Amino acid sequence: MKRALTIALLATLLGILLFGLTDLFPPAEVRPWAEMARAYGAGNGVASIVLGSRLYDTLLEVLVFALAMVGVRYTLKPLGKWREPVVPERGVVREMADVLLPVIIVFAVYLAASGHLGPGGGFPAGAIAGSGLLLLAMAKGIERLSRELHEGTLEPLEYGTIAVLLVLGCLSIPLNHRGSGLLVVFNLLIGIEVTIGAWVVLHYFASHRGEI
Amino acid sequence: MAAQIGTVLGIGLVFLGFGALLLRRSLIWKLLGLNVASGGAIVFLVALSHRPGAVPPLSGYPEGTPSADPLPQALVLTAIVIHFATLALSLAYAISLTERFHTQETGRIEAASEEEMER
Amino acid sequence: MTVLLLAVLAFALAAVALTRRRLLWGVAVLGVHSLVLAALYFALSAPDVALAEAAIGFGLVTFVYLLAIRRTGRIAVAAVECRPLLYPEGEEVVGLVWELLELLAARTHRELELRWVERGEVEGLLSSREADLAAGDLVPSARETAFPRVPLLPTRIVRVRRGNGPLGAISGSREAERLPRGGRLFPRRGELLEALERGELGGAVVNLLELRSFYLRGTFRDAEIEPLEDADFVVLFAPDEGELAEALREIMTELREKGEWEELLRRYL
Repeated sequence: MKRALTIALLATLLGILLFGLTDLFPPAEVRPWAEMARAYGAGNGVASIVLGSRLYDTLLEVLVFALAMVGVRYTLKPLGKWREPVVPERGVVREMADVLLPVIIVFAVYLAASGHLGPGGGFPAGAIAGSGLLLLAMAKGIERLSRELHEGTLEPLEYGTIAVLLVLGCLSIPLNHRGSGLLVVFNLLIGIEVTIGAWVVLHYFASHRGEI
Repeated sequence: MAAQIGTVLGIGLVFLGFGALLLRRSLIWKLLGLNVASGGAIVFLVALSHRPGAVPPLSGYPEGTPSADPLPQALVLTAIVIHFATLALSLAYAISLTERFHTQETGRIEAASEEEMER
Repeated sequence: MTVLLLAVLAFALAAVALTRRRLLWGVAVLGVHSLVLAALYFALSAPDVALAEAAIGFGLVTFVYLLAIRRTGRIAVAAVECRPLLYPEGEEVVGLVWELLELLAARTHRELELRWVERGEVEGLLSSREADLAAGDLVPSARETAFPRVPLLPTRIVRVRRGNGPLGAISGSREAERLPRGGRLFPRRGELLEALERGELGGAVVNLLELRSFYLRGTFRDAEIEPLEDADFVVLFAPDEGELAEALREIMTELREKGEWEELLRRYL
């Protein structure tokens, strides 16, 4: 019964595939995005949409991201901590991290700050900084890093970032203020938010007991 | 031509992903299948934004060259990030479930939770 | 042309990733697949999306999966060295119990990870679940009766006396609980043997396999032996590994039915 349903569903998908190969719906004309981008002070078409004309979507998605992080915290906190360090410290990684980390952080900040002029923006920048934090955790040992990045400071920082982002975003549309400075501020705030989110995931998955 | 290859790949990946979602029995394999399926949806949308002979939608290029459509790309950009967040949450749930039922096979989890309901 | 190549590669990688046996391989191949997808987005002139996919899909998603499955597919074994049952030989591990463990791993599709421990550490490791099972020179002590077990071989605990002096035993074991007052405890069989050969002890409380290894070394040939208690060598499991214990019981039943159990006993003992 399950196999029959599976095959029926997949055959329907196959039908859609063949339907898409025909030329019934030719792609539409690309709207002139260049003037809109210039009006928002951006050089990047995608950034002008994400942070400009569809700003509310982006704000709500940042909220969803933060909500998911709260959920991860809430689900994994009742499980206890590991007795042994799961991400131990290694000498070779430490040497490598000494060389690579500055490059990673600078690159992440560069991506965030120039996201309105070229490809990049807050989201990849935050992810790259999160990977940099992972490298740091492998070099230093996750116990030490968790102690240094104190949880008590990170939570208000995360919520504060979201609050500032929401207020700025909601105010900029009625007040009709546009400009590249605002876009840079948005990108940097989003980058910080995604970094802290990635760190929360790393910390809770690596150090809390969760037997699978 | 490139856009059509992209759409075909997109639907093919959704095909694969949903197949894995339905046929595999362990929780984490199902999540992997869902991952592939959502990747396929993203490929589909990005392929829709491609035009023949297109350049990326950036402002450095001379006027008049046909550029790709920035709208589907904008839709997809935040979707990738949200996908990671929901994946982290689902894995946290999977960990918590395994902690309670000590297995990852969905059949056994259903049976065990039915037993718990009856009690 | 590039798009076509990349698309075919991405599809092939996804197909390979979702049909793997072990979860670890699936996750690794999926990581490569997301990198190929990032290249595909670049070829489709979407650089923002390509950057986001490479950073998040390749970096963070693979990493989150690896952290979540870090204990899947492994059986962590706390092994107590015991010459005919479970012992290292050069780089490899051999023994009767090792063959059983390999059968268990094949049946449950997990892989074995051995850790050599002392007899006294077994209880702590099992109750904190750092080890999934413990095997080797194990006759369960009174504190270890709560753990699920699968008995393997019958044996006997004996008291051996060769002269005057205190008796010795391996700490943490059942034999140590039968030690009279004034006895000395040793963490490992090797140290017990050395103390006996140096003449510090007047005897020991051991089980039959340990006695056999002493005989083979020439000690105790002329000692007097007194049986104390009948017991079994067992494999102990962590408190929530019931299905693993069930699987091992099934394997033992099948071996006995097919007559291979006697052959194994003959080969190793």
